[in-house]
Amino acid sequence: MMRKDYQLSSTVSKVIEEITLWQTERGIIEISQNTLAVPITLDDEVKGYVFHGHGRLLLDAIAETEKGAVGKSIEKELDELFIMLGDKEKIEEYLTATDEEDFTRMGYEDEKGFITRAEDLCDQFFGTRRWDSHQFFHKDHGLIFAFPNRAKRLDILVTKGSKLIYKTTDIVFVSNENKIVLKSPSETVVSSKGKLLVINKNDFLRCGC
Amino acid sequence: MSEDLKEEMTKLKEEIASLKEQLRDVTEKEGRRRGIYIDVGNRVHDYIKDVMEGVAEGIHGELEKSIFIGPRGVRIFKKREHHREEEEVSLPKIAEVMSALGHEHRLRILDELMSGGKYINELQEKLSEITTSTLSSHLKVLEEAGLVVQEKVRGRHLITMPGRTAYKMARRATRFLEKRNQK
Repeated sequence: MMRKDYQLSSTVSKVIEEITLWQTERGIIEISQNTLAVPITLDDEVKGYVFHGHGRLLLDAIAETEKGAVGKSIEKELDELFIMLGDKEKIEEYLTATDEEDFTRMGYEDEKGFITRAEDLCDQFFGTRRWDSHQFFHKDHGLIFAFPNRAKRLDILVTKGSKLIYKTTDIVFVSNENKIVLKSPSETVVSSKGKLLVINKNDFLRCGC
Repeated sequence: MSEDLKEEMTKLKEEIASLKEQLRDVTEKEGRRRGIYIDVGNRVHDYIKDVMEGVAEGIHGELEKSIFIGPRGVRIFKKREHHREEEEVSLPKIAEVMSALGHEHRLRILDELMSGGKYINELQEKLSEITTSTLSSHLKVLEEAGLVVQEKVRGRHLITMPGRTAYKMARRATRFLEKRNQK
């Protein structure tokens, strides 16, 4: 069940032009024009949005070390609904009213159809996580994104300034300036200021310090 | 009662007497000492020593099997067979990597990337005799072989850990062959 303190607004908007929701040297999230957006509210205050449209996520989950680069770039098409929490002021400027065609274009019969799916996503996100709402969704606490993946689970991206955590079913990538932890099914890489520690699935440990 | 049994009884009585004496000592010293001290001879000490030596030998053996400290760092193997499995590489994969290395321009790209990630225009400046399109196709070959990775956001090309190793090994192998041929 969705947490009591969260509500989805009954008013759905759409994005008037392409917006970059997040951008650093490591990654970028963009959404295209006409992406549907419904506000998520907490204590009658908008804390974030559920989006559905077209967009993309690029993330360089790569650690450049003295022993060579480890990791890969992640490219994800954002064609499914996803959640963004934080930085709502920026979004508000780019929203306008929707019409029936905006919903049919995205495969919904009407506005209600979109809200129902948005609620399902929020149930999945808030229902399985013990987020401290007041602490996490303060405007100074960065951004949180939740993207459904093929395994019907959520990929989570948490960012604040140069700090970043990206977690999928396969990988966990943590980056804080020149410190990086990358956990993939085959190995775990810890890199700090170019120094490197790799532990692979056979417990083979390589220290590049 | 046989003589042996009598002798055994005498010994037991002596031991009981000795134990009683020790117990008396302990009782007398109880007010002054916190622990209880009973002379158990050297047997227990020897036993503990044997056990600890066995444990130490076991640990040493396991460590010898699983840790290798070399000039390039520490390698820990949980099981040696895992390491052997890891070294098994298919011939087509070897051919792919060798093919990627088997071009002077690609080796020069790797050489440039050894000093750090570079944008394509930086590589173009360093390798001015190669056209941009050729440079891009070489980079694609290196990426497909896993020797180079490109950052999608910044666009820099980076040499990977396997790429660095492969490049160094190619240099060493060539140097080795040259020396052999000179002899």
